[in-house]
Amino acid sequence: MSNQAILATLPVERRFPIWRVLGIVLLLFLAVCAVMGPDLIGVDPFKQSLMHTLQSPSAEHWLGTDHLGRDMLARLLSGAQLSLSLAALSVLTAAIPGTILGIVAAWRGGWTERGLTLFADAVLALPGLLLVLMLAAISPGSWWALYVGLSLTLWVEYFRYTRQRARVVLSEPSVESSRLLGFGPMHVVRRHLIPEIGPGLLTIAAFGAATAVTAVAALGFVSVGIRPPTAEWGVMMTQLLPYWREAPFLIFQPVICLVITVLALHLSVGGRKL
Amino acid sequence: MFKPLSIAILAASLFASPIAFSADKTSVKISAPWEINSYDPAVSGFAFHRLQVMETLVDADTKGVLIPGLATEWSATEDGMSWTLTVREGVKFHNGTTMTAEFVAKSLITALAKPGMLKKAPIKSIEAKDGKILIQMEKPFSALPALLTHNTTVISAPASIDAEGNAVAAIGTGPFTVDTFTPPQGLSLKRNDDYWGDKALLESASYLATSRAETRALIAESGDADLVFNLDPSGFAHLKDVDSVTAMADAIPRVVSLKLNASHKFLDDARARQALSMAINRQGIATAITRFPEASATQLFPPVLSEWHDKDLKPLTNDVEAAKKLLADLGWKAGDDGVLTRDGERFKLLLRTFPDRPELPLIATALQDQWGEIGVELEVSVSSYSEIPKGHKDGSLEVALFARNYGLTPDPIGTTLADFGKGGGDWGAMGWDNATVIDALDKISQTSDASVRSENIATVVKAVHDELPLIPVVWYQHTVSVAKDLKGYVVDPLERNYGLSKVSWGK
Amino acid sequence: MLQRSVFWSALAGRAVQAVVVAVVVGIISFAMMQALPGDSAYRIAAGRYGYDMMDAASADQVRTELGLDQPVVVQLVSWLGSLAQFDLGKSSVSGSPIAEELKTQMGYSLLLAGAGLLVSLLIAIPVGIMAGLKPGGWFDRFSLAASIFFRAIPAFAIGVVLMLGFAVHTKLLPVAGFKGPEYLVLPALTLGLGLAAVSSRVIRDAVSEAMSAEWRLFSRTKGLSSKLTLSRHVLRNAALPVVAYVGVQLAFLIEGVVIIESVFAWPGIGHALVHAIFGRDVPMVQGTALALGLMYVVLNLIVDLTCHGIDPRRSKTA
Repeated sequence: MSNQAILATLPVERRFPIWRVLGIVLLLFLAVCAVMGPDLIGVDPFKQSLMHTLQSPSAEHWLGTDHLGRDMLARLLSGAQLSLSLAALSVLTAAIPGTILGIVAAWRGGWTERGLTLFADAVLALPGLLLVLMLAAISPGSWWALYVGLSLTLWVEYFRYTRQRARVVLSEPSVESSRLLGFGPMHVVRRHLIPEIGPGLLTIAAFGAATAVTAVAALGFVSVGIRPPTAEWGVMMTQLLPYWREAPFLIFQPVICLVITVLALHLSVGGRKL
Repeated sequence: MFKPLSIAILAASLFASPIAFSADKTSVKISAPWEINSYDPAVSGFAFHRLQVMETLVDADTKGVLIPGLATEWSATEDGMSWTLTVREGVKFHNGTTMTAEFVAKSLITALAKPGMLKKAPIKSIEAKDGKILIQMEKPFSALPALLTHNTTVISAPASIDAEGNAVAAIGTGPFTVDTFTPPQGLSLKRNDDYWGDKALLESASYLATSRAETRALIAESGDADLVFNLDPSGFAHLKDVDSVTAMADAIPRVVSLKLNASHKFLDDARARQALSMAINRQGIATAITRFPEASATQLFPPVLSEWHDKDLKPLTNDVEAAKKLLADLGWKAGDDGVLTRDGERFKLLLRTFPDRPELPLIATALQDQWGEIGVELEVSVSSYSEIPKGHKDGSLEVALFARNYGLTPDPIGTTLADFGKGGGDWGAMGWDNATVIDALDKISQTSDASVRSENIATVVKAVHDELPLIPVVWYQHTVSVAKDLKGYVVDPLERNYGLSKVSWGK
Repeated sequence: MLQRSVFWSALAGRAVQAVVVAVVVGIISFAMMQALPGDSAYRIAAGRYGYDMMDAASADQVRTELGLDQPVVVQLVSWLGSLAQFDLGKSSVSGSPIAEELKTQMGYSLLLAGAGLLVSLLIAIPVGIMAGLKPGGWFDRFSLAASIFFRAIPAFAIGVVLMLGFAVHTKLLPVAGFKGPEYLVLPALTLGLGLAAVSSRVIRDAVSEAMSAEWRLFSRTKGLSSKLTLSRHVLRNAALPVVAYVGVQLAFLIEGVVIIESVFAWPGIGHALVHAIFGRDVPMVQGTALALGLMYVVLNLIVDLTCHGIDPRRSKTA
């Protein structure tokens, strides 16, 4: 109810703005690149040529070559598969339980809330780095360990945000009257909670995709991560850093890919208010 | 967004200006990758020694010739079973205590009890007698004075160690004393005005451990440090074009090599190891990764180790076809995916390496590609270097890639004896017991006769070259960036000493 | 403004939490370190002696010296026993007392984290409010693009670019080190830019929602000026989610500085923790984890009290 009232006061917005279309098109494009790209260009992302390293873009190598003479375009496309699935999986597995638990805690209150909050606090109090590094050490070089480690530390962010906001929303008179009128939890969630906390959550989630990839880069920086010669955007950022001076265009390529991904996510989820 | 930024810049420039433009240059700033974790010479001796806080009994010049240090002279008995070293007189520790033979002996005994260079010599006992140090041996060992140049044998004052045996201070005898110590990053030094030899020219020095090579290159360029060690290839290339510094490279006896488990069923035939060696494009690795094309290894020991380098040895070559043929002779056939198989087993190996030297994972990735050419599937595991000695001990190691320094002491016999002697070594041969080599190494370590020595060195060098228990890949260059106005800096190819006491500022 | 009872009950609750955190963090980090593959004696020897001197013999020596062959339970009980006497023990790698190492490193990390947070707020608050007041305006879009860029670029790349600009080309600031306030600027800026990328969006969302809420329309109709509405109602309501989010960020902050610490050669705790984990320095990992855990409890308390100050309604169940 209240939201319709607000919407009415806001400048007229199209329900499906051009930005959102653009975002979705971009996301689809990225997905197609990741799935079909490596086959389409038909260049081996692992083939080295030590005599042709750090080359600028040319007809032969559209985006140049890396420090071992491998084709950058082929590696970016091959890396897209891993990076995008890692980002999507870790965001989903962190956001869904985090949000649900956050709503449950705010809704039930009392011991449920105290218990869940204590649990979340305990997870936060334990250095996440320790958790991720440990999982990475148990299964060295595999990406799923990184992913599990990331999800286990990232869900708390969604939980805390949802809980804090949901408590405020649930104590609003309009919600209390809804509950008194006998509307079920789903109604309150749909009509009050989602409109209130949704945009913030989506913002966090869209950035969360970047968090996942840059976390892989960060781990690569402390020499933990995926085994060579696997291509992954975060790993590529770390590996190309030493050559930032000679070939700055190289390290920017995975960064730009990530920027496009996050931008696409933002546009497609946050289109209403953008 | 820009307002706070500009305020920050303004505030920072106020702080920074007196430092960036200070004119009175009485100090030198050093940056290197190595962190200093503790006061214990067994752990941090390298830093205290390089920075001239602590000194060794025997010293070496830049050519590796032994010269007197805290000991003025040394000699062995005829049978080589005992050594006598005369302790220099009039030397004071930084806390004012006079250095006596008793203190020196105590310091050496402490060093012997901990992992370090002295462990490589067959020492029976160390004692002080009439102002001299008496070292009894279990068997003759001619390279003992050379081992006494190593940084794990530095002499520290008794007050450096508390009652429980913990190192609580770094009190040495060198031209610099420790001013402040912020482990693991920083160490600042003051001149020791009571130094027994030539006093340092500059008043103070400071050391900053900077683990990232990118940061070090920027520190050198900006002038935040005057001496910057271990530059990465890309940073080095850039610094050569920077006017305010001189970028220098010097060949050192450190070698990147592959350790092969010669008792592994794929690798027990010398031909298999030769084939793997032929598949390596050393020129490519030396050009593209380490960027010193002339330093691609043609044999294990580099020219800088002149006694152990044999100019007439046939260089290791890169010949993919010959490598394929050798492996075919051994019964390997290419499978559907190009990987060789024999008796239903794929030629698959796991290579262990570590990231502490950033070029190692890169070389490993290049090897993965090059061995793939001849149908050998190589998996690369980048982890702690301790996995290599561990894999050696439990026999699980297949291939390891590391950089070995044969110049830890001026005479590399201590290292080579450990690496190729009986049972092989953690950082040397594995599953390769060559009786001729073991015998020759024993002779080298015991003799003081130059011709016996060179004859046996030739035997060792040839056997290692032919049978390849270790496959050399590239030799190392020691890189350093020196501020243009800094005078008197000399590169030490043994990486023992930064020579800070001799540097000064001039135009 | 705060009621005393609320303050004391929050404090008591946190004290209990602190003890729980201490024990839980200690046991969990101990268990984790034990679960790690690889022989810890080898890792410790590696951390101590470096690759030129480390070998199997030195690993065996470490094993005997540290009693690593003792049963796991005995090692844990002895740690908990010393902890009860406020003794964190000695580092396996460096041999120095952990309390001493932590004191220095924690100080440097807190300094960096605090300065980073300050920079991030200095950037995020004005940017977030400007963007939130006119959602969809050009400033909002520009700040979104900037946020995405700074979030997607790894901290080490930001650090290197800042060093190049401020230290190498203009010589305004030192590249790396820790010997004075001028050394703090670049690492804090690197950290702050990364943090502000997200927090400015959280602030922007909170402000734009507060701006569109019913009570704002009400307060406008009751005749308050738009400026007064902004300062009295909008910002106050927007502050709540922002403070809550900063609370979460803080937890990641201290250890998140690990990259920045390595790039800028800053002797902090994140860097130390990574080394301790690699070196299997169990007492050091436990000590660090404990310090971080307790600090988190303190920060949480501050966030709670701040939230209460902003919106006293919440404190009923807190």
